[in-house]
Amino acid sequence: MAATIPLELEAATKRYEGANRAVTALDGVDFRVGSGEFVCLFGPSGSGKSTLLNVLGLLDSLTDGTLWLEGKDVTALSVEERTEVRREYLGFIFQDYHLVPTLTAVENVELPTVFDGRGERERAEELLDRVGLGDRRGHKPPELSGGQCQRVAIARSLINRPSVLLADEPTGNLDRDTGTVILDEFQRITEEGVSVVVVTHDQLVSDYADRRFDLVDGDLG
Amino acid sequence: MGVLPAHRLPVVRIAVRNLGRNRLRTGLAALGIVIGVMAIATLGILGTVLQLSATSAFGGVGTQVVVTPGGSGGAGDGSSLDSLSAVTGGGDTEGFSPRDVQRIRRIGEKHGTVVPMVTAAGTVSRGQSEQIGVLAGTDNPQALFSASDGRIPRNHRQGALVGHDLAENLGLRVGSTVEIDGNSYRVLALLEEGSQFLPIATGNALVLPEGEFTEPYSQIIVRTESQEQAAAVAGELRSAFDGRGNRITVVELSSLLDQIREYFGLLNAVLLAIGSISLVVAGVSIVNVMLMSTSERSEELGMLRAVGVGRTTVMRMVVAEALLLGVLGGLAGAMLSLLAGVGLSVVTPVSLELVLHPRNVAFLLLAFCFGVGTSLLSGLYPAWKTANRRPVEALNG
Ligand SMILES: Nc1ncnc2c1ncn2[C@@H]1O[C@H](COP(=O)(O)OP(=O)(O)OP(=O)(O)O)[C@@H](O)[C@H]1O
Ligand SMILES: [Mg+2]
Repeated sequence: MAATIPLELEAATKRYEGANRAVTALDGVDFRVGSGEFVCLFGPSGSGKSTLLNVLGLLDSLTDGTLWLEGKDVTALSVEERTEVRREYLGFIFQDYHLVPTLTAVENVELPTVFDGRGERERAEELLDRVGLGDRRGHKPPELSGGQCQRVAIARSLINRPSVLLADEPTGNLDRDTGTVILDEFQRITEEGVSVVVVTHDQLVSDYADRRFDLVDGDLG
Repeated sequence: MGVLPAHRLPVVRIAVRNLGRNRLRTGLAALGIVIGVMAIATLGILGTVLQLSATSAFGGVGTQVVVTPGGSGGAGDGSSLDSLSAVTGGGDTEGFSPRDVQRIRRIGEKHGTVVPMVTAAGTVSRGQSEQIGVLAGTDNPQALFSASDGRIPRNHRQGALVGHDLAENLGLRVGSTVEIDGNSYRVLALLEEGSQFLPIATGNALVLPEGEFTEPYSQIIVRTESQEQAAAVAGELRSAFDGRGNRITVVELSSLLDQIREYFGLLNAVLLAIGSISLVVAGVSIVNVMLMSTSERSEELGMLRAVGVGRTTVMRMVVAEALLLGVLGGLAGAMLSLLAGVGLSVVTPVSLELVLHPRNVAFLLLAFCFGVGTSLLSGLYPAWKTANRRPVEALNG
């Protein structure tokens, strides 16, 4: 049996209908990520990287084209179904971490699981241990460095056992050494079969990635 | 250090934390509710106190029909206060004819107790002191008066019942002796300071057996169980004497009492409306505060949506925040108005009992519920708006 492809995009087009003119952010993009693959996406500012990532993460919908997730067509799902799919298959890492400042590190990691009564506190602690923050569990984001915050965010993105991890500029706010730590972490994650898609300006990322794409004007070329 | 519990109401826990983030803003938003709830509760309590004091001052007036001989012009409506003064004066010398007494008795006894009474002004003395009093003669004083001291006889054959003021001025007690026109009477009872001012002002009254008077009856009082019965008696009396040349005047205050009640009901409604306006203002400020705090936390809420937290959960979080504001503000407001009510009873003659009347307790609850309800409603729109933002938009702030 052929392994299903975690994430596949076919002839994807995304147009933003502006007030006076439409912007085509993605223009017929075909894109696919294999299981446990580390893919990075380069491109100049405004080329559509974030748009592509949002589409892959079911945060935004396509104007045209098809998105498959684990072999299922997820192009036209309802809002609730999208939420469900995100929870089940996807992990997100944001440039600004988006941690809740009033919650401790471990509470932040646990957060995605607490509302449906799962409350995976132990797993949250394990994940923090894994990203090297076992001794920072009780600290709140303002008491942590940028790199530590991003590692908390990585731990959080893994709490739901995703099959694909999507990261937008995960090292954008970090110095080179800290960025290296984060990228090492991504590599370890892929070894467990999780696919990682990283959108970045940071050339360092391509040293770690299995494949590299360049997006120019909404086109992967 | 706060620990996020796995199963215990994470939505509420997070709402509490979020309110704690900007204490000043939270406090100000809650203050709006505090003021609104206070306005409703305090004004409601005030209205109740006014209404209850007023209606208790009118006492049993509503279940009593007073018939006096002779017409006073507009005997037809009978409930005007003009005729009231004619009655309380009690100085009518004409008197009823025995046939009219019979007729009134027949009609009155269908609905209640009929007590004919003779009234006159007279000088009451005890030793050297003298005092003008209202003399009343009736064989059935139990139907009309109650005693603060001593006992009112069922069948009044001898002795006097003395009103409060009269007793005080003459230094009378149960067992004392008073003199009227050279006759001596033993005081059997002191009359309770009656709230009722009909048929006669009890304070200055001296009630004697009917047989002590030679004059004809000057008032006939019909006592009923209910206001409806009083109204029926009055109606039947009027139609029975209709066209007989204004021989009687019927005074019946149940309809006046209804008007008083209606008036106070209206007053209360107006007070509540004023209070509600302040709650509406509070609600608007909560909408504003919730919109502000959700747009500030837009990215955080967008992140929650991105990691798979559902729309309803996000909505619940925001609504819980608004609800908490309402509960806090409502509790504080209700407590403060309770304090204000207790304060009122300390500095004014209003009794604590009246302040703590079940209706006022109901008002406190009502005001609290209004406060919570307002907050809930005010939280719904910001919650709905936030929860329905597309995650991408929310994440971009
Ligand atoms: N909500 C939107 N409405 C209209 N146009 C948009 C919207 N979001 C993005 N765009 C446009 O789509 C194009 C692609 O934007 P996108 O954010 O994907 O670029 P990017 O590659 O992530 O850039 P950067 O490296 O600066 O983050 C840009 O021209 C941008 O102006
Ligand atoms: Mg971008």
